[in-house]
Amino acid sequence: MRYGFVIDHRKCIGCHACTVACKSENEVPLGTFRTWVKYIEKGEYPNTRRYFSVMRCNHCDDAPCITICPVTALFRRDNGIVDFDGDRCIGCKSCMQACPYDALYINPNTNTAEKCNYCAHRVEANLEPACVIVCPVQAIVSGDLDDPASKIARLIATEETLVRKPEAGTLPKLHYIEADQSALTPTEQTHASGYLWSEIQMDSVMMNEQALAEADAQARTTYDISHARPWGWKVSAYLWTKSIAAGSFLIAAIAMLGGFVFNHWVFDAAAPQIALFFLAATVALLVFDLKRPERFLRILLMPQWKSWLVIGGYILLIYGALLTAWVIIPYAFTRPLSRRAVEVPVMWAGALFAAMSAIYSAFLFRQARGRVFWHSLLLPLHLLVQAILAGAAVLLIVLVAESLISGSFLTGPAWQFLYYELMGALVANGVLMAGELFMPEENVERKRAARLITRGVFSRLFWGGALILGTIVPLLAFASGAAEEATVAIIAAVLALAGLLVWEHIWIQAGQAVPLS
Amino acid sequence: MQRENDKQNDAQQSDEIKPVQATIGGAKLASFPPFEKWDDWVEFDAQSWPKKVERRYSLVPTVCFNCEAACGLLAYVDKESGEIRKLEGNPLHPGSRGRNCAKGPATINQINDPERILYPLKRVGARGEGKWEQTTWDEVLDTFAAKIRQALIENRRDEVVYHVGRPGHDGYIDRVLQAWGVDGHNSHTNICSSGARLGYALWQGADRPSPDYANAKFIMLLSSHLETGHYFNPHAQRIIEGKMAGAKLAVIDPRLSNTASVANYWLSPYPGTEAALLLAMANVLLNENLFNREFVRRWVNWEEFMRNERPELPCSFDAFIEEIKKIYSEYTPEFAADECGVEAKTIIEVAHEIARAGSAFASHIWRGAASGNLGGWQVARALMFLNVLAGSIGAQGGVSPNVWNKFVATPFSKPAPQKVWNETLWPREYPLAHHEMSFLLPHLLKDGRGHLAAYFTRVYNPVWTNPDGFTWIEVLRDESKIELHAALTPVWSETAWFADYVLPMGVGAERHDLMSQETHAGQWISFRQPVRRVLKERAGESVNFTYEANPGEVWEEDEFWIELSWRIDPTGELGVRKHFESPYRAGEKITIEEYYRWIFENSVPGLPEKARAMNLAPLDYMRRTGAFAVKSNVYDQHETRVPDSEIEGARVDEQSGLIVSASNQTIGVMIDGTPLRGFNTPSRKLEFYSKTMKQWKWPEYILPGYTRSHINWREMNKDDNEYILVPTFRLPTLIHTRSGNAKWLYEISHTNPLWMNPKDAEQLGFKNGDLARVTTEIGYFVIRVWVTGGIRPGVVACSHHLGRWRTKKDEGTDRWASALVDIEEIEGGRWKLRQVEGVHPFASDDPDSERIFWKEGGVHQNLTFAVHPDPVSGMHCWHQKVRVERAQPEDRYGDVMVDTARSREVYREWLRRARPAPGPDGLRRPLWFARPVRPDNEVYRIADE
Repeated sequence: MRYGFVIDHRKCIGCHACTVACKSENEVPLGTFRTWVKYIEKGEYPNTRRYFSVMRCNHCDDAPCITICPVTALFRRDNGIVDFDGDRCIGCKSCMQACPYDALYINPNTNTAEKCNYCAHRVEANLEPACVIVCPVQAIVSGDLDDPASKIARLIATEETLVRKPEAGTLPKLHYIEADQSALTPTEQTHASGYLWSEIQMDSVMMNEQALAEADAQARTTYDISHARPWGWKVSAYLWTKSIAAGSFLIAAIAMLGGFVFNHWVFDAAAPQIALFFLAATVALLVFDLKRPERFLRILLMPQWKSWLVIGGYILLIYGALLTAWVIIPYAFTRPLSRRAVEVPVMWAGALFAAMSAIYSAFLFRQARGRVFWHSLLLPLHLLVQAILAGAAVLLIVLVAESLISGSFLTGPAWQFLYYELMGALVANGVLMAGELFMPEENVERKRAARLITRGVFSRLFWGGALILGTIVPLLAFASGAAEEATVAIIAAVLALAGLLVWEHIWIQAGQAVPLS
Repeated sequence: MQRENDKQNDAQQSDEIKPVQATIGGAKLASFPPFEKWDDWVEFDAQSWPKKVERRYSLVPTVCFNCEAACGLLAYVDKESGEIRKLEGNPLHPGSRGRNCAKGPATINQINDPERILYPLKRVGARGEGKWEQTTWDEVLDTFAAKIRQALIENRRDEVVYHVGRPGHDGYIDRVLQAWGVDGHNSHTNICSSGARLGYALWQGADRPSPDYANAKFIMLLSSHLETGHYFNPHAQRIIEGKMAGAKLAVIDPRLSNTASVANYWLSPYPGTEAALLLAMANVLLNENLFNREFVRRWVNWEEFMRNERPELPCSFDAFIEEIKKIYSEYTPEFAADECGVEAKTIIEVAHEIARAGSAFASHIWRGAASGNLGGWQVARALMFLNVLAGSIGAQGGVSPNVWNKFVATPFSKPAPQKVWNETLWPREYPLAHHEMSFLLPHLLKDGRGHLAAYFTRVYNPVWTNPDGFTWIEVLRDESKIELHAALTPVWSETAWFADYVLPMGVGAERHDLMSQETHAGQWISFRQPVRRVLKERAGESVNFTYEANPGEVWEEDEFWIELSWRIDPTGELGVRKHFESPYRAGEKITIEEYYRWIFENSVPGLPEKARAMNLAPLDYMRRTGAFAVKSNVYDQHETRVPDSEIEGARVDEQSGLIVSASNQTIGVMIDGTPLRGFNTPSRKLEFYSKTMKQWKWPEYILPGYTRSHINWREMNKDDNEYILVPTFRLPTLIHTRSGNAKWLYEISHTNPLWMNPKDAEQLGFKNGDLARVTTEIGYFVIRVWVTGGIRPGVVACSHHLGRWRTKKDEGTDRWASALVDIEEIEGGRWKLRQVEGVHPFASDDPDSERIFWKEGGVHQNLTFAVHPDPVSGMHCWHQKVRVERAQPEDRYGDVMVDTARSREVYREWLRRARPAPGPDGLRRPLWFARPVRPDNEVYRIADE
């Protein structure tokens, strides 16, 4: 049994009865919607037409929201309904990033994610969903797609139907009859200030002309609901602190494995402690970004193993354990030989988990199926480079700061190592940023996000912040040797770190700026 | 042809009480719980899901109270808490068939609205000052009873006025007013539908059409029935049904409505030229001989026309056809193309569609062009002309008179008609008005033509809804003109603010009413119920009054009128009391239950039998099902043979063929030698030719014709930025001023920008969202521009649904909907309204009130409109000639400026266009015209003065 919907736009009159019946049935709070009717207008007078499209969860056969949910709060019922359980939800909002259809929202009463669940509680009592029965023109058809005798199956067999974003590969179970293609394709629609009879909740990022560039100027949105960008500064900051946490130990491990600077305090003492501190900050940011932070342990205790939030959580946990081990080893093992026997595997493992901590987010962002900009193939490498950059910068600051305090001279392998490491990472990061933004791109969502950064609302932050101040200036400082001056070195490293943070911010925000619905 | 859809729907409304069954474990989901389980229905709690928490409900049918369609609702009452959890559709309702528009389920917002008024309030400051104290219903009833009693005793029977918005019932108040013997029924009709009503009434005697959309092959709408109007949900269902079965749809509207948007043809003429467009189609049908000859010959009063107007010609049908071809020859498609701005070939194409559909051609106009324009009533008349030519009147898939499809049950006692004529409601200037000249009331009072002792505004908000609201305020404040004013309303309104008493009345699920509407070719009644009371009584609790079961002390009007009437005449000396004595308990006061029980037992054919078959008393049957189908498949009633029993003793007029009974009533007409019932017109035929118009001093309007509107596009001076403003369109989600208490509706729609074609925007230098100042003849308003290809160039449009306001921060019109404004009265009748703060989140028991995200709340344009009474129909002609320009530096969004001295002048200008009564025989109004709460025939004659 596979329940699905057909929405028959030969019949739909755009009356919003479904919207309100759904609100009533499910007590949906103001400002949030499980289903809504979008309007677009096309054509020039007197050939103007308005097109309606009923938007909601598609109950995908391959539902990305289920895959990304760390705690099985989203799940598929035996009858094909994609349902949710607010009692399990931790409010991580990743489902909102995974869904390419804007189907999910956070209920402000419970701070948990919700969406259309096909009125599963009604289906259990053998009743059709509330939107189906209210519809004055019976434009919404529910039923079993697997039953060839059902009305819905017959409609799909006999009528031409469309689904939203088939390219997302989600296998939607919501089929539209005679919907206008551009009404189902958000990137083909323009938005102007104000709608037909409602106010646009202006989001300067999503409404930026670059975010809407290359839309079909004839398909103008005239009624829609607003969707906030779910992830804010805590997520950008999390990427940044995680880079430091991963990179500082990774650099240290490379240095130590290289052997030539082994035993320098920056690597074997400062680096793991810095890594631990920033790892704690990373976890804290993750926890406090949850809408239900008190439920954070569920990621570990109620894991849904396909979610990279869970896998990532365990990676961070193990990495944290290894760092802790490293810090404890000198106290636990006083005899050098036995200490060494423990240290080497811990260091190897630590380096491995540091790298994984840096990289795993790429897989998480890839699970955010709705956010195409985040799916760059360069991302794993880029995250690793960012970690190295962040690690090198932080350790360099510590080393230089110590030398300033102690008055010692800045030479030696540790200094050289970090100096060149950072310089190299800056170059690599610059190349990778350029790669993410300027590689020839067919996909319109990726193109738009990139243009937001290069030409749109984020262009000043990108060019001035991430690129010039955050990459080129420090790079020049190092390449010219100016950074051999301690204060210059510190300023350059701080700039590099700040540049990285700016990049994370614009990368996260631009990724969410292209309308999903 | 019976279509699959129909069969399915018939099953839902068939004789068997079987909504689509919920069969546990079955593969197909049911739409509704099975009827036999309505008393105890178990459903899982949506909020607790996926935990299966059972909730037990009683399902009680009631009727939506938001628009006038009377769609069925099914209230889910939680058995544990006694609270209404939600309202769905009632599958047993023949009109709405279990389905609703957005406003139906939003009823729950209105019930739970934290802003609602729960206790009767009495003014303690000056009128409009906003100082109130809670009072008791006893005090209210005694105060009004004394006032009205005094008026009755002193025979001031035109000083008690009940002014109603959407009635939401059939005839209840008419009986009350006639029991009091006052001529006091005032309605909102003349700001709503008088134009269309007169057009329809002249043809067929009934002032509304009942299109049979589901069976039509071609549908033409001049109203937006797929989103609003009478009767949006039931009609939209059937229009789309017809469309899915192959019918094509044409919509005539200067503005791209949602309805126009799904049509096969969108014709967008200049506002006010619609009649010319329709007559050009008539011309095509006539010239190409594409009309139904036989139908026209049998049912049009052509002989009367020929005899009276063309005595020189032979009185033959052929001569008639030749003659009308000549008369309409000027309405060529090319003429119409030039006049209306619609391509000639489209006009011809649509005419051909009408011809192809023939008797299955359905059409409808209710407001729109008929309500916007001087002479708008001719638009309805021209539209009906097309139906007559197509032969689709009364036919399957055509249009019937509404009276065939509406059933109004007779109550237990019907008082004699009042012997008084109220000239402040029915002034002599408008003898043909359909109906009361309600929007002129403040002007007539200012003229000194009358005075009100007791005035009830009932779910009616003239300050906001009517044109010239500041004049209303001036009069409502004046205690010398209106002594006592009670606003009967569930919520605050701009008008209630100026009342002496604000009396909270129940919303949809909190009151009794009986309603019927012409939604399709059948007849039904539906029963609105106070669902909590019904359940208490079912549980054996005794409930004396509905307010005992309602929130706070919210009354229902039915009981209010009984109590008030009883107190007006406690001893029976005034002859009022007897109409409120129980038909079951002699001499005792009737209960509301007895009132409806008597109707269901005695006045609804077939209902007692149907109830008996289910072992129920008729009242219980209605309490449990909420609706009853009286008739179905009602067509061709005019072809009904007059029974021999009636013909006995009657005479037949040789010339007209009219069959006149012994009591001098026309009861039918001879058609080709057969005595047939015909239509409710003087000729018993469809009156292409209106002798009435001639008799009442409008000889130029004896035939369907085209009158240039007061806003004819040729008179707009583009250099002076003059535009036609269409200010009348509605939104699918709102109900005039009745929906400010429904948060889910306001969440969807909360602004009313000024629609403007991109060409005009470019010329005027507007970008989308810019502020415009729109100047009318009495003032201006400041509004945002919405640039859209959905409007004709030269025309701007603004929905009248938004722009609610209040003057006190925490009290007044619902804060979901209203902006806080400052109203300044400058000297000499100059008024200024300015927003202090837009719509704003507020704290309440409902956390949603803190989540209001909309800010501006719309602009109240109606304040800036002067009254424009059409001299014939009495309709307020809504469309405006305006000047549109960029806002001035001092202008702010929502600003309104009005000069009421100027509005008095405009009133007088329009008054001069009227041709006052008396008509023939000294009549105030043609006797054959309908009139709400019709007085005795004797007062139709103006007494010698």
